[in-house]
Parts: sequence; structure tokens; C-alpha cells
Amino acid sequence: MTELDPVIHAQARLRVIASLSALNVGDKIAFPRLQELLAMTAGNLSVHLRKLEDAGYVEISKTHRGRTPATLVGLSRRGRLAFEEYTEAIRALLDPTPSKEQ
Amino acid sequence: MDPDDDSPPTDAAAALRLIQDQRSATARRLDPDARLVYWPWGVAWLVGFGLFFLRFPPGDRALVHLPSWLPLTVLFVLLAAAGATQAVVSTRAYGQVTGDSARRGQWYGYAWALGSVSVYAGLGRISEHLPHDLAALLWSATAVGLTGALHMAGGAVWLDRDLFRLGVWVSVINLIGAIAGPGWHALVVAVAGGGGILVVGMLARRRQRQRQQP
Repeated sequence: MTELDPVIHAQARLRVIASLSALNVGDKIAFPRLQELLAMTAGNLSVHLRKLEDAGYVEISKTHRGRTPATLVGLSRRGRLAFEEYTEAIRALLDPTPSKEQ
Repeated sequence: MDPDDDSPPTDAAAALRLIQDQRSATARRLDPDARLVYWPWGVAWLVGFGLFFLRFPPGDRALVHLPSWLPLTVLFVLLAAAGATQAVVSTRAYGQVTGDSARRGQWYGYAWALGSVSVYAGLGRISEHLPHDLAALLWSATAVGLTGALHMAGGAVWLDRDLFRLGVWVSVINLIGAIAGPGWHALVVAVAGGGGILVVGMLARRRQRQRQQP
């Protein structure tokens, strides 16, 4: 049995990464909108995003929309893969019968 | 905030539930209700082209005595309202999402705008030399044809089966209406076109519901 990824295996970060995984590949979401979707405080979300960014799972970019600065958050290719592996591992724990399909 | 949110989920089942709930909640918020996207256009076609048929049916006599400016005015007002509704609903849903999806939407929007202007500029030059009924057929068959083609293209861009099928349907009924001739075209577009959009809105909503189920 593979070890569960400790970066993802925490409730708050799992929620963050699950939400980001619902975006289409190549898309990013504005920080306030993500915050609203998750109902987390800005500080709390920032802390978890930093951990995910340090692991290379999340890409954060700062741009300008007109004059207002905007922070955009998206799942990296590596993050999407890690999330898929985590989900697969969880499913395997729940249904240990070996099967090729998810 | 929950001080324990750095702690792992209690067990695998809780983790999976959390993933599914969060993904479906996000999809629900980032996907505009398909009914709000489709139905205003369906109503516009049904009522707008319907009135046009009643006022300008095949032959010379109106079926219902309406001012001659009324059908087109109602059609354009309803189309504008449908466009505005779609803009508001989409902005609310995708407004804070950028990247490939936003670029697709933007370019698709340009295709509608520039495509319409370039096609209608030519029509305007021709239709002034046509009798009223043929001019009306030329305008509506071209507009409906362009709509059908762009819906099919949109279905291809997003791999959206409902949108693609609607494009096929609109193109086919446009062909049938054009062959049937002036007057009949408006009836076909109102009933089969407007009705088709309403049905597709319902199907798209049902598909959306299934996708968003946790």
C-alpha cells in the first residue's frame, strides 16, 4: 500500500486541491473567489496555499487587472497528478479488490 | 476557522466524501445554470419569429393585425435581453477564472461579433433591392444559418454534445424553412428552432445535474 501524500492528506489542503481540480486544465482562479468557494479566511488559505506551492502542486501568479493587483491560483501538472494518485489510493483503501479501472 | 484543519480526514471514506463534495460544490458554482443560458434565446425565437409569422405569413394577408414594426422590435428586444442574461450569468460563474477556458470563450465571442458584422454588411447591400418577403427570408435564413454553424463550432471547441446537436438541428430546420419559402421560414424557426433551444436547455440542465451530483 502506498503512503498517503502528507501534503494533501490534511482536511484543509484536501479541500483546496479538490476545488482546484474542478477547474479545467490550464485555468486559474482569483484568490478571493477561491476563498469564497472554500469559505476560508484569507490568512488560513494563504498558509495552506504556500504549503501546496512549496510542494510544487499549486502555481500562484500575480498579475494586474487594470490597476488592481490580482492573485491567480491554479493546480500545476504535478499537483493534478498527485491529487489523482491520492484519490486512487483512497479508493484502493476503501475497495481493496485489485482492479485496473479507477 | 477550524483549528484542526491541518489534521488528516478521519478515515478514507471521509476523505473521499470530502473530495466529492468539494468538487461538486465547485462545479456547481462555476457552471452557470444551463436553463438561464439557453431558455431566454428559445423564448426570443419562439415569440419573435412567431409574431413575425402571424404578421407576415405566406400570402398577403396578416393572420393577426399587428403594427408592422412590432414583430422585429420584439425579436430584437428579446434577443438583446437573452444576450444580456447570458453575459450576466457567465460573468458571475466564470468571472474570476482565467486561462485557456476564458481565452476560448473570448475568441468564440469574437467569432460571433465579427462573423455577424461581416455577413450582415453584405446582406444590407443586397436586401434593399429585394421585395419585402424575400429580403426577410434572406436576413433570417442567413442569421439562423450563422447561428447553427457557430453552435456546431462551439460544440467542437468545448466538446459540448448539447451545443453541437443544437447547431445541427438549427442548421437542418433552417434548410427546411428556406426551401418552404418566405413566411413558412419564420414559422419553422419559431416552433422547431425556439422549441429546440428550450428542449436542449432542459437536456443540458439534466446532464449538468448528473455531473454535479456528489
